[in-house]
Amino acid sequence: MVEGGLVHPLLLSTKLDLDEMVIFGESLEFKHVFYTWVAMGLLALIGLIVRGRLKMTPSGAQNVLEAVIGGLEDFIVVNMGEAGRGFVPVLCGLFLFILTMNLMGLVPGLDAATANINTTAAMALFVFIYYNAVGLFRWGPGYIKHFLGPMLPLAPLMLPLEIISHVARLLSLTLRLFGNIRGEELVLVIFFTLAPLFSTLPIYFLFGLAKSLQAFIFFMLTLIYLKGAVEHAH
Amino acid sequence: MKKKLLERWNLREGGIFDSAGKASVIGLHLVSGMAVGGIIGYFLDKWLHTSPWMKLIFFILGVIAGFRNVYLDTKLLLKAQEKKNDSTPKSGD
Repeated sequence: MVEGGLVHPLLLSTKLDLDEMVIFGESLEFKHVFYTWVAMGLLALIGLIVRGRLKMTPSGAQNVLEAVIGGLEDFIVVNMGEAGRGFVPVLCGLFLFILTMNLMGLVPGLDAATANINTTAAMALFVFIYYNAVGLFRWGPGYIKHFLGPMLPLAPLMLPLEIISHVARLLSLTLRLFGNIRGEELVLVIFFTLAPLFSTLPIYFLFGLAKSLQAFIFFMLTLIYLKGAVEHAH
Repeated sequence: MKKKLLERWNLREGGIFDSAGKASVIGLHLVSGMAVGGIIGYFLDKWLHTSPWMKLIFFILGVIAGFRNVYLDTKLLLKAQEKKNDSTPKSGD
């Protein structure tokens, strides 16, 4: 599979012949869907294993997961107040899912599903629909007040502004995650062709941090948008 | 263990992760407001045959929305910093 004019040295999906799939007589790219399912399977497996041996005094994998989820839950509750507890599963799920997909790009033989714009667009669309649905359920028709700004005389100006900035959230969520991860993947492939292993290993630390930061940013922005939808209109 | 991991990750409000995330968001928010304004104007023009008025109006609205996004993001960032400064006791000076 040619990736931006560059060839990936080794991929699991190529070995399994799942790079492309023919659906209704049309050949479609299937790589990112394959790696999304790998990430889902991995997370489900870890979850099942940890659930199978829950202990009162946590150790090993349970400890790590409890620390991450506990930290995220604290963060959510500090930001949103007690109303945020209900959103912990969705937000933590998003974070862990994106983090897994991002970090899979660093594993030899696997690729990051988030390096394809279709994956990130789908997730941004989910977030967009989700927080608007939460706002609609919470406020009913009064949710329109969130789009009208602080003063009623200014409403005709604020409505298009708010609509533009809400759609801009969708665009920026999509492009930020996609651009960062795709760029990192391309840099890794280029460095690998220049000097295998020797040049890629140091970069792994930098990219490991950048990829977890991107997952965190997606999580944090979702949290901020949810907060805006649940809170009183200003 | 939990405490130490949190310290290292700086997962608190106003910590490194939080601040870096909020700061790195600002640039793209400025641009994407303009882009969305331009796109909406372009398609309205195509639909209503009013070129170039909708493009102009919505691009300007997009610019305003983009700068408003930057203003709101900055306010958020400053609020988190203030909260952090209030909660942590001052060390040294």
